Amino acid sequence: MREIIRAENVRKTFTLSRKQRKLEKNPSGRKVALGGLSFTAYEGEIYGLLGPNGAGKTTMLRILATLIRADEGDAFVNGHSVAREADKVRSSIGFLTSELKLEDFFTPDYLIGFFGRLHGMREDVLAARKAELFSRFGIGEFAEVKVGDLSTGMKQKVSIAVSILHDPPVIIFDEPTNGLDVLTAKTVTDFLLEEKARGKSIVLSTHIFSLVEKLCDRVGVIIGGRMAAEGTLAEVSGTKPLEDAFFDLYAEAVRE
Amino acid sequence: MKNILTVVKKEFARFFRDRRLVIGTLLLPAVLIFALYSLLGSVFYEEDEHYTARVVHPSALFAALAGAAQGAEGEAGEEAAPLFALQEAAEADIPAAKEAVLAGECDLLIVFPENFDALLAGGVLPAPAAEASSALSAPATGAAPGAAETPASETPASETPASETPAAPNVEIWYDSGSSSSVAAYNAAYSLLDGLEDSLSGLFDVNMSAGGSLVSQAEAEASYYAMLLPFLILTFLYSGCMGLAPESVAGEKERGTIATLLVTPIRRGELVVGKIVSLAALSTLSAVSSFVGTFLAMPQMMGGSIGQTIAAYSVWEYLALFAVMVSAVLLIVTLISMVSSYARSVKEATSLAVPLMVVVMLVGISTMLFTVPSAAHAVFLIPLYNCVQVMAEIFSLRFSPVNLLITLASNLVYIALLVWLLTKMFQSERVIFNR
Ligand SMILES: Nc1ncnc2c1ncn2[C@@H]1O[C@H](COP(=O)(O)OP(=O)(O)OP(=O)(O)O)[C@@H](O)[C@H]1O
Ligand SMILES: [Mg+2]
Repeated sequence: MREIIRAENVRKTFTLSRKQRKLEKNPSGRKVALGGLSFTAYEGEIYGLLGPNGAGKTTMLRILATLIRADEGDAFVNGHSVAREADKVRSSIGFLTSELKLEDFFTPDYLIGFFGRLHGMREDVLAARKAELFSRFGIGEFAEVKVGDLSTGMKQKVSIAVSILHDPPVIIFDEPTNGLDVLTAKTVTDFLLEEKARGKSIVLSTHIFSLVEKLCDRVGVIIGGRMAAEGTLAEVSGTKPLEDAFFDLYAEAVRE
Repeated sequence: MKNILTVVKKEFARFFRDRRLVIGTLLLPAVLIFALYSLLGSVFYEEDEHYTARVVHPSALFAALAGAAQGAEGEAGEEAAPLFALQEAAEADIPAAKEAVLAGECDLLIVFPENFDALLAGGVLPAPAAEASSALSAPATGAAPGAAETPASETPASETPASETPAAPNVEIWYDSGSSSSVAAYNAAYSLLDGLEDSLSGLFDVNMSAGGSLVSQAEAEASYYAMLLPFLILTFLYSGCMGLAPESVAGEKERGTIATLLVTPIRRGELVVGKIVSLAALSTLSAVSSFVGTFLAMPQMMGGSIGQTIAAYSVWEYLALFAVMVSAVLLIVTLISMVSSYARSVKEATSLAVPLMVVVMLVGISTMLFTVPSAAHAVFLIPLYNCVQVMAEIFSLRFSPVNLLITLASNLVYIALLVWLLTKMFQSERVIFNR
């Protein structure tokens, strides 16, 4: 199987602002978010990064999306180095995280057009893709409503449509079902399974075990910025339910 | 390049589709400035004012002059009211007339020496007997110099009379320094008498009706504009930019919409240039709105003859002005954008831009304080200050192409440098993601 994403010994340390220092009771002012993280995801599979709050999932995915840089180590997406070929990485991925917002003032229709042009899509290709995504997510009904007036679920649908507008080979979603009701969450998980069926490679992060069990082919468990276990679901959880396996891993990581 | 255009289009759409923004930045400045300046103008410059003065020992010569002054301002053919309504008063009424001035019943009390007209006609230190009836035959050019010592030193205070020089006859003008119409009347009367004095000393011919030749008037106004307009232009550009850039840069950062752009293949530099170009264009529009307001109010402000001054500048001077303004607005926009991308929120960006505004305004008033000799070319390497000085040169009709070129070229370098820095800032995660 071909490697689609490979992270090699990625380290990231944040310098905390004065406010954060007080909030986190961390006088040193340095916070190690990733302490040498490595993992590999293969083409055509759904890879799950599973970890508790603050484990470093979002940080890792931001590095993959070239939004921030690793202090040490490198990662490769579709064969391109995130450190050296950021442009190529960006056109290979569709990235979704809760921090990426759409401008409240514009309508979904306008935004899809705008981002399509930034991706360099031809107008006819863009129009076809827009129609496809609008019907896939039911955006047509509120295509002319300003984003600011949409519900959380509607916004998430538009965000997903914008993120994978250019039909990238790699999809990187950070906690894609957070804050959604079961119906909208199902739209998202169904969509990911469909994309997998279309041959796309997917990496998603979550702290929800059931989501991993339902979607993922392989999983990496991150605790405290390190990979605690990696493999297929069966390899990681063994005979126990995934949740119990996770508690064992967590207890072990804390002991160290 | 295409991406820059896409960003510019989006920024324009953001602006022009938002009715509140359009009204707030394009319409309101014009309306508010027009209203404000018109108000100020009507306070400071009372165009249709006619003054009432009580006159002791009335002078027919002065009365004729006061009528002539009005004749010059009124439209031809119309029967214009005289500038001064003169009421004769007896010497004994002087205390009562002073009370009337203070009470606002009349604007001035003018006390001429007895037989003033005769004194003028007769020459130096006339005898009381000189009651020549030829007094009215306007001041002959050959009148002896220094014949009439007209009000050289009227006192500003309302209650102290002018110093009485015993030798030369003196005209006393009493006015109320607390009343603007009285002060204006004083100024008008003073200038009439002063002109009369000048003409009698043989410095000028008797030509009281017009303010001199056309060119000198345009030049006088030009130097006035050279002082005022660079400051106004800079202030308008800055405030236009202040209303837009923090919202567009710090706002997008604060709301997390800029990160969405950063995961697309657009280059940071393209995003920065797109933002700068659109912000500069919109700030210019906003400044233009302020200008329209100013120009519409100008006639009220200054007694209206900007038409002549506007026509005094050539196409080249307007082009030069435009180029300087573009470089100024680009400098300002990049500066405020840098401050805004450093700030964590719109609020912080706005408060950080205020000290910068003070600096810019100080630079703007530098033309009121001093002008740089045109030969001091090195001065035109100082960003923003060079814009102000070149604009002052253009407005005062003494503009030097060398200084213009130095200004434009050096500003281009500064702008390129700032855009490069701004791109670096957009690449830095600590700038874009700090919260
Ligand atoms: N910009 C930043 N500045 C300072 N510290 C940061 C920054 N971003 C993340 N961190 C810290 O790095 C650690 C990892 O954060 P990260 O967001 O990657 O965790 P996560 O696994 O996504 O958690 P969650 O489930 O809460 O989303 C946390 O302790 C967080 O406080
Ligand atoms: Mg996270």
